[in-house]
Amino acid sequence: MEIIKRPGGAMANRPLHFFWLADCSGSMYGEKIEQLNYAIRNAIKPMQDVAADNPNAQVMVRAVKFSTGAQWHIATATPVEEFKWDNLTSNGVTDMGLALQLVAEQLDVSQMPERCLPPVLVLVSDGQPTDDFNAGLAALMSKPWGKKSVRIGIGIGQDVDLEVLQKFIGNPEVKPLQANNAEDLVKYIRWASTVVLQAASAPASQVKDQVSTGVVPIPQAPVASDVEADDVW
Amino acid sequence: MSTLLQNNQIINGELTQQSYSIDTFLGAGTQGEVYRAQANGRDVAVKWYFPHYIQNDLQLRQRLENAIRKGSPDNNFLWPLELVTQQNNNTGFGYVMPLRPNNFKSIVDLMRRRAEPSFHALISACLALSESFLQLHAKGLCYRDINFNNVFFDPNTGEILICDNDNVDVNGATGAINGTPRFMAPELVRGDAPPNTESDLFSLSILLFYMLMLHHPLEGKREASIRCFDQSAMNKLYGTEPLFIFDPQDNSNAPVVGLHDNALVYWALYPQFLRDVFTRAFTTGIEDQHGRIRENEWRVILINLRDSIFYCRCGGQNFYDSDSVKNGENQKCWACNHPLVYPPRLRINNAVVMLNHDTKLYPHHTDRSQKFSFATPQAAVIRHPQDPNRWGLQNLSTNAWTITLPDNSVKTVEPQRSVNLTAGISINFGNTVAEIRV
Repeated sequence: MEIIKRPGGAMANRPLHFFWLADCSGSMYGEKIEQLNYAIRNAIKPMQDVAADNPNAQVMVRAVKFSTGAQWHIATATPVEEFKWDNLTSNGVTDMGLALQLVAEQLDVSQMPERCLPPVLVLVSDGQPTDDFNAGLAALMSKPWGKKSVRIGIGIGQDVDLEVLQKFIGNPEVKPLQANNAEDLVKYIRWASTVVLQAASAPASQVKDQVSTGVVPIPQAPVASDVEADDVW
Repeated sequence: MSTLLQNNQIINGELTQQSYSIDTFLGAGTQGEVYRAQANGRDVAVKWYFPHYIQNDLQLRQRLENAIRKGSPDNNFLWPLELVTQQNNNTGFGYVMPLRPNNFKSIVDLMRRRAEPSFHALISACLALSESFLQLHAKGLCYRDINFNNVFFDPNTGEILICDNDNVDVNGATGAINGTPRFMAPELVRGDAPPNTESDLFSLSILLFYMLMLHHPLEGKREASIRCFDQSAMNKLYGTEPLFIFDPQDNSNAPVVGLHDNALVYWALYPQFLRDVFTRAFTTGIEDQHGRIRENEWRVILINLRDSIFYCRCGGQNFYDSDSVKNGENQKCWACNHPLVYPPRLRINNAVVMLNHDTKLYPHHTDRSQKFSFATPQAAVIRHPQDPNRWGLQNLSTNAWTITLPDNSVKTVEPQRSVNLTAGISINFGNTVAEIRV
């Protein structure tokens, strides 16, 4: 039996709730939804690595899918080490507002632990909301944890409503990311699930004169790759 | 996965004209990516910068060239060896540094209890850190970004490695990095001052506190009362209203049972002299840059701390605290809760060295003129070859010692001979006198 070398436990940390909000409307059908599935699966390991290297956070993951209506794809807050991604399928309209309502319910103080790190919400969409987006956003922002959340918007293709994503982000310093090809989508999803995750719990080295008005300083997003014709949606 | 450099890609050393072949992607940070690479069958690490980072940090290249020219302050730095560039890429660059061996673990591993050093190894790591930062600062340089991710240690030996030396600059120069939240000095968090040697010293105190206590020295009741730990919360806790959790004048930020247990457990475990120095570091040293604890003081404190380790019969490493012994407190072992039995000890000037079965003395202990030298052991605790109940201190030096017995008789202990560990014997090592206490 190995003797215990030193007393105490691991360094104290706080939960960090991470939410994927994924557009599964009909327009995502085919390549787009498969590329999103691939990009998220691809980000799981790096996300777990970043979480394992961060003693300040206990990362819990959930996911909402929205098309005609919104539903939990991963309803239980799942420790990131156990996070798996079941592929999404697409069909229907874009009830983005309802997705925000669903997340808002979970961000109510009655549903959240007393002490947390800022929640991270990553919204991925290829179009425009077909329901009352503003009502959904208002519901989200009416919750203290909603207001304190770090929100990232990723648009897929040219038809995405960037203005809606910018409203969702609610911070002029952080722009929506527009993925025009599969490679960029992988890059952005990875960035959101690693760099942003890290920033929300243990901000990295602070670059001088960096002024931030957001909940936490968000490091610069990766730049889009040079677009190749046959890779464009 | 898309990375900046690809497998087998060749990059070129600017100084040696050597070709480096990229092997494995090791990781990415906010400034760039790190790879393992090979040159002439030798493994090295290459850090390659993100194009957007190069654009933002205009002095980067100059700074690296200076660091490469100056060379590493000591062997504990994974220091830049040379710049590397790529053919047909005029803007991208990186640098080569030694590769970190696998036996080195991160401070995050320590915090998450994935690396379990003994107290002895842990304190050795803290000491090595203080010595290396002393070397760096003595060269007129400032590190600017001491934090969890830049230091690695060997949990078995306490050896350390300091990486990310690309922010190092001449003290007072305008650099690109201000530090990492939770480690930055309050004046930096508030934006009142740029990083300098004194703010490095604050970050070093934070890192040492984290390593020894597995907790942040400013996270007590105030942290507990914050629901959402966001940037404004961090600015308040670490910048505008920093208050030490063990401030003797103000307990409004005391650790909270159930939330900050490590702080409570470890604070009580270490000797008073360590508590005193941390108290100064985070009370007078919090606002006044002149009040920061300098590396030389840390060295003395950490050596004394390591020398006060002794073993309980369960094997647990405990600390001898002469203050609590003086106060008649009965110490119990933190591991088995049995009352502690103190081994013989040596009083050398104001310090106490526990004479455990494996204790060795070094020039630091025995030669006043060789403070901080741990080159060759000068003495070792040894068991009598015939009588296993007798313990002694063997003279491993090349000079005879003069000992004075309690009855004032004087004897000589030639090299390789040993003196009994009997209370009241005083040993003159040459220019330093010590007394055995039991």
